[in-house]
Parts: sequence; C-alpha cells; structure tokens
Amino acid sequence: MTDNPLKNSAYFDDPEMTSLIYAALDASSTGIIITDNRLPDNPIIYHNKAFETITGYNTTEIIGHNCRFLQGRDRSQEAREQIRQALQDGEDIRIEIRNYTKKNDLFWNELYISPITNAKGEVTHFIGVQNNITARKKVEEQLVVEKESIERKVAERTENLRMSEEYLNSIVETIRESLVVLDPNLNVLTVNEAFLRTFKVTRSETIGLRLYDLGNRQWDIAKLKNLLEEVLPSSNPVLGFEVEHKFPHIGHKIMMLNAHRVELQGKFKDRILLAIEDVTDRRAIEKRKDDFLSIASHELKTPLTAVKGYMQLIKRFMPENNPKLTDIIEKSDNQIERLQKLIAELLDVSKIQSGKLDIHHDTFDFDKMVRDTIENIQLNSDSHKVVLRGETNAQYDGDETHISQVVGNLISNAIKYSPGKDRVEVYLSTLKNHIKFSVKDFGFGINMEDQKKVFDRFYRVDSIQKKFAGLGVGLYISEQIITQHGGTIWVDSDAGEGATFSFILPHTEK
Amino acid sequence: MAINKIFICDDDRGITEMLEMVFELADYSVVVENNSLYAYDSIKRIQPQVVLVDLWMPVVSGDLLIRKIKSDPTLENVYVACMSASRDGEQVAMDAGADIFIAKPFDLDQIMAIVGGVSA
Repeated sequence: MTDNPLKNSAYFDDPEMTSLIYAALDASSTGIIITDNRLPDNPIIYHNKAFETITGYNTTEIIGHNCRFLQGRDRSQEAREQIRQALQDGEDIRIEIRNYTKKNDLFWNELYISPITNAKGEVTHFIGVQNNITARKKVEEQLVVEKESIERKVAERTENLRMSEEYLNSIVETIRESLVVLDPNLNVLTVNEAFLRTFKVTRSETIGLRLYDLGNRQWDIAKLKNLLEEVLPSSNPVLGFEVEHKFPHIGHKIMMLNAHRVELQGKFKDRILLAIEDVTDRRAIEKRKDDFLSIASHELKTPLTAVKGYMQLIKRFMPENNPKLTDIIEKSDNQIERLQKLIAELLDVSKIQSGKLDIHHDTFDFDKMVRDTIENIQLNSDSHKVVLRGETNAQYDGDETHISQVVGNLISNAIKYSPGKDRVEVYLSTLKNHIKFSVKDFGFGINMEDQKKVFDRFYRVDSIQKKFAGLGVGLYISEQIITQHGGTIWVDSDAGEGATFSFILPHTEK
Repeated sequence: MAINKIFICDDDRGITEMLEMVFELADYSVVVENNSLYAYDSIKRIQPQVVLVDLWMPVVSGDLLIRKIKSDPTLENVYVACMSASRDGEQVAMDAGADIFIAKPFDLDQIMAIVGGVSA
C-alpha cells in the first residue's frame, strides 16, 4: 500500500483514470516523452501533445525514434556527452541543449531526464521533460550582448577620457602662461611646464607646498594674499589682476593674474586655478616705446622752437610794402603750426598709452570755448563757413584745453573731409544732465565698417589715406579725452551723405 | 629800472643763437652758456637779472642749476625762467624753485612779455 494514487493499481486499472492522466499530460505546455531502454536504440514509446507543439513533428515521426533527431546536424554539443554519461550511470540530469524543430528552427531545450528502474534495479525507461526556453535564452543572450556592449562603451569612454585628459594636458603644457592649481587650503596640486620655466623651480620643490611657502617664502606676496583671500572669495573669477614682485633669484617681475575658484559641486570644488602671465618684458618694451616717443617729440620740438623764433623775427623786420613776402611768411607760419600740432599729437598718444594724460578740472564757459575754437579755425580756413546753432549756456567743469582740442579736431576733420563744399554745421544743445556737441559735414561720409574703427589709434579709412595727410590719431585722442570726462563720442553717417560727429558730456548746472 | 642783463643756458645752439639774436635786437645784454657745468660760476660773476634755463642738459641738469641758484643768498634777486619741451617739465621746474615755466615750442611775444615784466 502506498499514498501515491498513481501507484495504486486500482487507478491504473481504472480506464477513466488513465484517460484523465493522458488528458492532463496533453494539457501541459511542457513536452513529455517516455523511452523504453529495454528496446534497441532506446526508442520513444510515448509523447504528449506539447512535445509535438514544441518540435513540430507528428506522432508517426516521433514514436519509435531515438530522441537524437531533435539535434539535427548540431552533433558536437558538449551537452550530448553529459547526457550520454548520465544515461549510462542511470542518473537524473537537467541540461540546456540546442534542438531543432521539423522546420529546422533552433530552439533552446531545457531538458530533464529521469531514469525509471525496475525491482531488479535495471533502468527500463527514461522520462524526458522538455521546456522551450528559447525566449529566456534570447533574453539571456541579449543581456550578454548588452553587457558586452556596455563594457565596450565603458572601455571606449575610458579611452576617450584618457585621450581628452592627455589632450587637455598637452594644451596646459603648451601654453606660454604659467598655470597653478591650488587646493582650498592654497597648497599647490599641480603646475605646468611654463610655471617651472618662468620661475626657475622644479616640480618636486613646488607640489604639495603651500603657495606662500614656495622657494623659501618668495611667494609670500601681500598683493597675492589679497587676491586669494580677499578678492577671489567675493568676486569669482578675477581677471587681469596685476602683481608686481621682486624675486630673490629671478628678479623683478610684473605678473598679470587670472584666478578662478571651481564652484561646481564635486571632487574639484573650491580648487583654485591660477594663470600667471609674465608681462615684465612687455611692460619694459612699452616703456621703451613711450620713452622713445617722449624723447623724439622733445628732440623735434627743440629745432621747431628755434624756427618759430626766427619766423617771428622775420615778421618783425618785414618791409611793409612786400605783399608777396608777407604771403609766403604767412604760409610758412601755417606749416610750422601744423608741424607743432603733429608733434603734440604724438606726445598725446604716448601720454594716453602710459596713462599720463592729465585732465585739469576747471570751470569754463562751454559755448565761448566753442566760439573761440571756431574763430581760430576760420582764421586758417576760408573754404568752409562754420555755422553755429544752439547753445548749452553751460559753465562746464573740465579740461578746457583738451575739450577745445576735441572740438577743433572734429570741426577741422569736417572741413578736411568735405572738399568742394562750403560749410559745416555745429550744433550745441543740452539734454537731461548732459551737454551735447555735434558737427555735421556734407562730404564723403563714412561707411558702416569704417565707422566702428575711426576711433582706433592709427586707423585711417583706406580711400582717405591716399588723398589726405594725417597720423590717424586725432579721433583716438578725442575719444580718450571725452571718455576721461565721463562722456561718449560717436559718428552717424551714410556713405556719400556726409557725417555727423557728436559727443555728450555729463553736466548738471549748479 | 628796467632790466638789461639776461643769462641763457641751453645745450642746444639752435635755441641759444635764436634767443641771443632776439634779445640783442631788443637791446638786452645777453650772455649765452651752452655748457651748464660753467653756468653757475658765470651767473655769480655776471649777476644777471633774468636767467633762462633749459631742463634737459648733460652733466648738470636744469633743475640742479635752478636749485643751486635758488639756494644762493647772493642770487636771491635773480628771476629764473625754465624752458623745456619735456612732458613733465613744469612739475620738475616748479619743484626745483623756478619762478616760471615756459613750454617749448614757445611764442616769442610771450617770452618777451615775461622778461619785460620782470623789474629789477
């Protein structure tokens, strides 16, 4: 007696029960076969419906055959050997094996084989249970492919990153400016070659040290401390911060610094990048140029002074009844004035360049200054009538000589660049807290491209350059003067329609 | 009493010759010295009422000469006009104690007026 109803002969004898069991086997989606090990070649003696569905073969093609037909021509799988071994030892085996349907479509079969033994211990039958796990296998394979692809991508990215790093590194090492990276406590993390070269140090005596302690505290510079501890924390980044220092070995250096604190969250946060440009040589060259301009204009002025003196003497001794000579002397005088103005302009440029253009503030009658300047110009130019319109009535506080220079410059230009016309117009007006001066000519005008550049130093409009003399500094100087008074200067023009140059100056009537 | 003795010190002969001619024509007695090294001794000997001195001169510069004149009690009545084409000339001249600064290139009428305005 046993609890297993299947082993109860009463059930097996019951034909109704038998057909129920067959029906249950056929309802299963798992393929089931039974082989008879006692017959030659271990043929299949039973299969359920699902086995047909999975393999695509019908009963006559299954019954009596050995299972191996499922393997098609795919005979070299390792799984086969494992199965053979298990069958021989009469043991259970669960294995995944590649099988083929009747249509020769591959499916993955999760095969379970269980031997049945009789009372003598002989294996009489095998039960084979098949599950089509192709879908699962596909997902698994997909996963493997995906994993490989991800690994490949990671490897690619890593390689890219490494190349980017190398690329960045080569940039850092190639630029001529010195670069220093500091941690939040101002210890040096890295420096580039330019730094080592410029400051004549080695990496080992630099990295890991506090910036101020470098080279026996050579870098303990008050201005640098001020930059890193006062300026940078409140205004990040800092650009163009000048530090001047005398280093014991390499001497006096003027350094232009850019400092940037990393604000991005992450492992680089609060690191400080310091770019140091050594401008010592450039400053020295600028100074030499300034000195040259200053000496040159001094040297030019000396003989000019003598010539001017002699001219005045000549005028004093001039016979009164010689109009031809008077005219010649007059013209020579004008040319000397021109020469003097050119020399003065050169000196102005060098003063502006070195920041030495002094602005003397004094109150003066703006309108009178304009009238005087116009009168002065009319003395030397009768080709154009300078028409004055409007008024400011301003007692302006500024540098009369310089503002007059600007007014004279703009009016002279208006006359110079409108040959063949007979007038230029000057307008004076007041706006809210500003006074405005404009001069309009009826000459060539200036195209858009050139309008942007006419205030640049030594810039001269191409078509003008060949026809008109000049250094190309008048408008540059004018702009500098107006800017230093807090005003702006600009030009409006359509080519061929003449040009209007204007400036405004801040002014409040007291 | 109008002044009549002028001492001119400039290393540039172009300037001194011109000024000498101008002032002689205006009936002044003019002494010119192109080497500033000898200027101080000449001034002490001649006792001019007016000294016209350049700034940029080799060996003894103009401002040094001016300081020497101004610190000498026997020369306290000498009027010193400093002339220069240098951009910072005025500052240097006034710091040294010059009575007036004249920028080169100057106007002759201006310089004549200055000298003419000095009374002995």
